[in-house]
Amino acid sequence: MKKAVKYWCVTGLLLCMFTVFTAFLPGYPNPGKLKFPYRKAGLTPQQAAAHLLSRFTYGATPGEVDEVVKEGPEKWFAQQLEAQMPDDSLNELLNKYDALKLSNTQIVAQFPKNAQVLRIAVKDGVVNRDSVRTNPKAYRAQLQNYMQQNGLKPEQELLQQFINQKILRAAYSNNQLQEVMTSFWFNHFNVSIVKNDCAQFIPDYERDVIRPNALGKFNDLLLATAKSPAMLYYLDNFNSSGNNAEKPQAQKQQIKSDTGRMATMPKFKAKKALGLNENYAREVMELHTLGVDGGYTQQDVTQAAKVLTGWTVYPMDNNGEAGQKLMNRVSADKLQNSGFVHEGDFLFNPNRHDTGEKTVLGHHFAAGGGYEEGVQLLNMLAHQQATAKFISRKIAVRFVNDTPPQTLIDKMARTFMNEDGDIKKVLITMVNSPEFWSAAAVREKTKSPFELAIGAIRALHADVNQPNQVFNWVNKMGEKMYYYQAPTGFPDKGQYWINTGALLNRMNFGLALASGRIPGVKIDLAALNNHHEPESAQAALDTYSKLIMPGRPLDATIKRLTPMLNDPKLMDKVDLASAKTPAATAAPANVNNQLMDGQAGIKNKQKNNFMAQQTIAGNNSMLAQVVGVIIGSPEYQRR
Amino acid sequence: MVSRRGFLKAGGLALLGVGLLGGIPGFLAEAAASEKIASPYKKKKTLVCIFQRGAMDGLMAVIPFTDDYLKAARPNLFISAAKSGNGNPLIDLDGRFGLHPAMKAFEPMFREKRLGIVHGIGSPNNTRSHFDAQDYMESGTPFNKGTASGWLNRAVGLLGHDALTPFTAVSLTSAMPRSFYGDNPSVAMSNLQDFTIQMRGNPTGANMAAKSFEDLYDQTASGLLKQTGKESFEAMKMLQKTDIKNYSPANGAVYPNSALGNSLKQIAQLIKMDVGLEVAFAESNGWDTHFNQGAENGIFANNVADLSNSIMALWTDLGAYQDDVTVMTMTEFGRTVHQNGTGGTDHGRASCNFILGNDVGGGLVYGDVKPLAIENLEDGRDLAVTTDFRSVFSSVADKHLGINNDHVLFPDWNGERVNVMRG
Repeated sequence: MKKAVKYWCVTGLLLCMFTVFTAFLPGYPNPGKLKFPYRKAGLTPQQAAAHLLSRFTYGATPGEVDEVVKEGPEKWFAQQLEAQMPDDSLNELLNKYDALKLSNTQIVAQFPKNAQVLRIAVKDGVVNRDSVRTNPKAYRAQLQNYMQQNGLKPEQELLQQFINQKILRAAYSNNQLQEVMTSFWFNHFNVSIVKNDCAQFIPDYERDVIRPNALGKFNDLLLATAKSPAMLYYLDNFNSSGNNAEKPQAQKQQIKSDTGRMATMPKFKAKKALGLNENYAREVMELHTLGVDGGYTQQDVTQAAKVLTGWTVYPMDNNGEAGQKLMNRVSADKLQNSGFVHEGDFLFNPNRHDTGEKTVLGHHFAAGGGYEEGVQLLNMLAHQQATAKFISRKIAVRFVNDTPPQTLIDKMARTFMNEDGDIKKVLITMVNSPEFWSAAAVREKTKSPFELAIGAIRALHADVNQPNQVFNWVNKMGEKMYYYQAPTGFPDKGQYWINTGALLNRMNFGLALASGRIPGVKIDLAALNNHHEPESAQAALDTYSKLIMPGRPLDATIKRLTPMLNDPKLMDKVDLASAKTPAATAAPANVNNQLMDGQAGIKNKQKNNFMAQQTIAGNNSMLAQVVGVIIGSPEYQRR
Repeated sequence: MVSRRGFLKAGGLALLGVGLLGGIPGFLAEAAASEKIASPYKKKKTLVCIFQRGAMDGLMAVIPFTDDYLKAARPNLFISAAKSGNGNPLIDLDGRFGLHPAMKAFEPMFREKRLGIVHGIGSPNNTRSHFDAQDYMESGTPFNKGTASGWLNRAVGLLGHDALTPFTAVSLTSAMPRSFYGDNPSVAMSNLQDFTIQMRGNPTGANMAAKSFEDLYDQTASGLLKQTGKESFEAMKMLQKTDIKNYSPANGAVYPNSALGNSLKQIAQLIKMDVGLEVAFAESNGWDTHFNQGAENGIFANNVADLSNSIMALWTDLGAYQDDVTVMTMTEFGRTVHQNGTGGTDHGRASCNFILGNDVGGGLVYGDVKPLAIENLEDGRDLAVTTDFRSVFSSVADKHLGINNDHVLFPDWNGERVNVMRG
């Protein structure tokens, strides 16, 4: 039935008829058309634009709220859904990161894990085994030398580039919605750098698995994650095997691969872990699709795990991995004929697949189903009612508030079911709903540390030259991006982000950023106000509050901060103290990079001069203090 | 779940508590006592957990030195009870097990029966992946990845009272450890000095900003931000009462200048400040000794020296607080019985752990370590896990912190406790 509808929709005429038809269904507005009911919720166009930007960007840039008002919020949103905005200046920034475009195979070849390099280097006799203990300096030098000679780079560099690119994208991409959704889905299908086995595949995971599917069909996204090396390693499916798996062959291989080394080193290998691993099967139901109350049983988990046996990673390591050599010898045709499926980095290995019959959630899989039954399983999971509700709820939690109303979730879930898990249409249903614009939603989400940091950077038009410094702050505030260990991902609720230590660090972040003390993050507060110097402290507070928090009620914040500004003695003291700041403790953040490059050795005096200049130039410390307090204020923690 | 709000309820008390520290007259304190309100800042029992990341070679830390199989399997790594050429002999604990010579600081504690050791401890899940094994140990659910919370966070929820101070559970790490994940309030910080409003080189500005922030948060309409803001500033003020930076340890304690030493020193500070610390967490790294781990000297020896010296510095520093503190170490798994081809050991199964405290049933090596003949080894190569880590952790949590709901602390676990504590 559904297929038939889809088929006929291809013709424009019938599409129109379909639209007219569905428009009459109660509670089922046309999921393609954007019409934001913000006026009914009592919001002005400016407030509506501010709300929209607070949800689907990492924070409004100066003037952006007015631009969206002018353009029309619906049009802006439609454009963001397409995610086709040119991003030339961002791409220029990203160009300097050479690892971002590498395939997983190239990454494995160029960025081997530390232990891996050491092992190879020792094996090759390049690194002296004894120096590891007796002379760590020499050993590190030997290793570094070895890596350089062989064109190898430390994995840490890869991860650094990867994290930097995320910070730059979030701060500067014109396709903000796509970036926000990429973060959302990454966190939903979380994998973690902490797990060493999957760390090097994470850049590809975000780039090729999550981002291209972030606004597509949920089913495609689910399948892509299931087949990605990052997920296969993170939740261990890569070595999950059926009980009829290749035992004799494995033993043979082990003997073969060990014979070479036997003479020199007795190796006591663990029994090759051949067996069923349920981790992925459980989490794909509990966390990725149905939800913990989604009505599945332990029996379903075990059966699903059997369906997914043999789903593994295509061998990529050229450094003597037996599997790779074996694969290289066998032609593609031959592989296919014997039931292997090789797609990119994914490999279905029929020798490890459980060939028996299975039943998951009442759905029967006949014996001998092979790769296709796994695809069917995921397809089935993606289209469950429980999944539609679970995903809709999670999206609403992200974009509406921590406890979204059931009426809204139901509407979204209906779209999810009727539109084949089309993520765009689910989002449209959400923003077309009055619940999205209600007082219970506006300013009710708590910014995560990453949202706070990037939001402030965007609001101040900050120039980020050292994204890793931003990462350090985000970590300090409680969100070590890409390092969250559990497959649940970071909890998306205010209570999680706001705790005592983290809150003080949020305030400190505001002060550090505004006073230009985050190395490699340049700001120009005067330029933000077109170099009009505020006439008074009070004027500065009014002006900058509005610049940084457009479309918000600011009376309370301004009223609270006014007394502080009206104590002239205190302000003088701050300016004085700030001017005396010894350069050693003030990070050279605001310093022009060119100026710094040639003069790294020059110390206190010149920097002090610069600090003084800076005061004249408009980033004066009083203003910095005001802006810092605004960013650390409770109002700014909300979005 | 509700414990975050507990601090709210206790808000007034908390202020009183701070006041008491600052020297509020005794009659006020008596008045508080007569109201039968337990002061949130009275002395608390504290459990200090140290995670040794990388998997400690338990067979080198606490050596079954009479086992000839071990000697044969480790030609370069075996430490004997006899004085050898280039190093000290092991410390004979009971005629069967010997402590690594670099852990001599532990010896008196063992003899005084304050230090207990469990050997053959580990997880029933036989994964040899660091990540998985740590994850399972810290979540406390060895067969379930999706457990959102960590066991120590659940422990906080089982303390029998709301978390009364921001310092109920503190991890001296830059990021929240898996053990602390969860809904009960807990704090991660690598440095207590960061617990303040800072503007480098501009204390006046910082003070002013702090005042502004305190006022703003006090007046905000958001309950969460208002409450946490209040807690934050109270916590900050509590810490400001002591000169954290220039702390000098008591009783001549000398902390190693290491990450662990530094963490434990700060934990001692918190304990001695009576800020209500009940669950503390610290990490020790570098245990993944695949290469040249050494024997009497070397990488491993340095690691255990740091571990034991750091713990003993904490213990010495605590002085009168010793009765209230139990220290427990843990590691994700042990290492192979046989040394490998690069003078180290590979990932194995069981390891051992240390529990120090005045209510520990010390002076014993608990657990079941069979002769290391191949037929007794797990998968033919590793010291077998004979004690589930949960049976020890639950016992310590109960006897020291009064946590006796094992079904919540370790869901899915129905095993027997191993009582390593007195009484």
